[in-house]
Amino acid sequence: MANGPDRGPGLVPWRLVIEMQHVTKLYPASGRPALDDVSTEIDKGEFVFLIGSSGSGKSTFLRLLLKEDDPTSGTVTVNGKPLGTMSKWQVPKLRRTMGCVFQDFRLLRNRTVAQNVAFALEVINKPHRTIKRVVPEVLEMVGLEGKANRLPGELSGGEQQRVAIARAFVNRPLVLLADEPTGNLDPETSEGIMLLLERINRTGTTVIMATHDYHIVDSMRRRVIELNGGVLTRDQSRGVYGVGR
Amino acid sequence: MRVNFVLSEVATGLRRNLTMTVAMILTTAISLGLMGTGLLIAGMISEMKEIYYDKVQVSIFLAPEVTEEQRAAIQQELESSTEVASFVYESQAEAYERFRQQFSQQPELVENTPADALPESFRVELVNPERYEVIAAEFPNGENGVDQVRDEGEFLDRLFSLLNGARNATIAVAVVQALAALLLISNTIQLAAFNRRNETNIMRLVGASRWYTQLPFILEAAIAGLIGGLLAAGGLILTKVLFIDRTLAGPIRAGIIPQVEWDAIIWNSVIVSGVGVALAGIAAYVTLRLYVRL
Repeated sequence: MANGPDRGPGLVPWRLVIEMQHVTKLYPASGRPALDDVSTEIDKGEFVFLIGSSGSGKSTFLRLLLKEDDPTSGTVTVNGKPLGTMSKWQVPKLRRTMGCVFQDFRLLRNRTVAQNVAFALEVINKPHRTIKRVVPEVLEMVGLEGKANRLPGELSGGEQQRVAIARAFVNRPLVLLADEPTGNLDPETSEGIMLLLERINRTGTTVIMATHDYHIVDSMRRRVIELNGGVLTRDQSRGVYGVGR
Repeated sequence: MRVNFVLSEVATGLRRNLTMTVAMILTTAISLGLMGTGLLIAGMISEMKEIYYDKVQVSIFLAPEVTEEQRAAIQQELESSTEVASFVYESQAEAYERFRQQFSQQPELVENTPADALPESFRVELVNPERYEVIAAEFPNGENGVDQVRDEGEFLDRLFSLLNGARNATIAVAVVQALAALLLISNTIQLAAFNRRNETNIMRLVGASRWYTQLPFILEAAIAGLIGGLLAAGGLILTKVLFIDRTLAGPIRAGIIPQVEWDAIIWNSVIVSGVGVALAGIAAYVTLRLYVRL
């Protein structure tokens, strides 16, 4: 992943989806940086595992991409736009190009599956007609057709995560960020979720998944970025979880 | 902006914190009601000042045994004085007539007052109302047919300082209440934001604009402010119907207190409601900015 001059300036904006240069993040409460001089690039359509133990900086990495936080030093660029100079007003626009999935699903308990997905479109002012069309489509894609009117509480964990993925993907984001999406699921269910993420990746969406699950990482053989105490210690194009495992 | 969505969020928010909302509305209403009352009193004071101060500043009451020559001398002196802007002569009959009008609500008093009980007088408007002493010195009490020179301004000053005090006290209480209302609004909004943190978190992540996220909260506060303002306006209307038009009817007809017109009530109601909406909305906005991450 060398930053070669042969790439040419004209190609950079559309190929490179994410670029981090010498990013350091210090939280005031802690003496050790959460991210320490991290530089990396992620191309459009890549599937990247972000691994490392708890507190290694994975979540901070994802937060910086969403501009939930700003780095203490260094630059983060998403889709050709440097986040450091981005005004507060533009942040929502940035987030519309990214979908997020979490370990705890974060669904609205009092809304049905379809309403949960529709909510993400309503609040960014999508027209009603569009919502009516795309919600069933995306529910079918994640394998939840026929469960549109269920409440999240009536679904299994795997199904709830599918709802969350549908909500993250319904707006066709450029990047899907997944923070331990299989953390609460059994291996079999996790496999289904991974197949779904792979499928989403094949549509051209860049997927960045933070995980602890070495089975998944080892079986998928995708790019692996490993963080260790905030330092990027490994960036391997077809990696496994532990070197020499 | 999806109006339905925002409105349903507002309705949910108001219902979910019902007790807080009620407290917020009531404090706002009391504060705004007092503010409206203060405004009414202020309006009355300035009208009364126009009525009284402009009419008379110094009265020269004549002795009962005043002679024709003495009266003419006084008149001439007033005419030639550089201190006097204008003056009118009020005969005993005119004084009695005015008295009868002023106290038409108390017929016993009028009946028991003989027509010649009130002295004739010169009502003098000074170029500079502060220079009462000069006039008093020119017409010593008990000499040359003058019974007494009275500075009406002094009496009026005392009356108005009383009214001003009432107005200031009302507005002071209104300000304290407004402070309580603002803190309550701020608290309610923080609570509402906490209750809906799941929704707002998701909205933030999927890229809803700040306005879209904040508007339901701001509207919630503004609506509570509006309801408070309308309650206060209702209070002002009741004050007009039950207190001003009944208890104060006599003095108003007598011209002692100026009439409080519906115009003033309506204007104050509009002002008070507007202030309610604006203050609540601004308080909510500031709260969201300072304390709540949206």
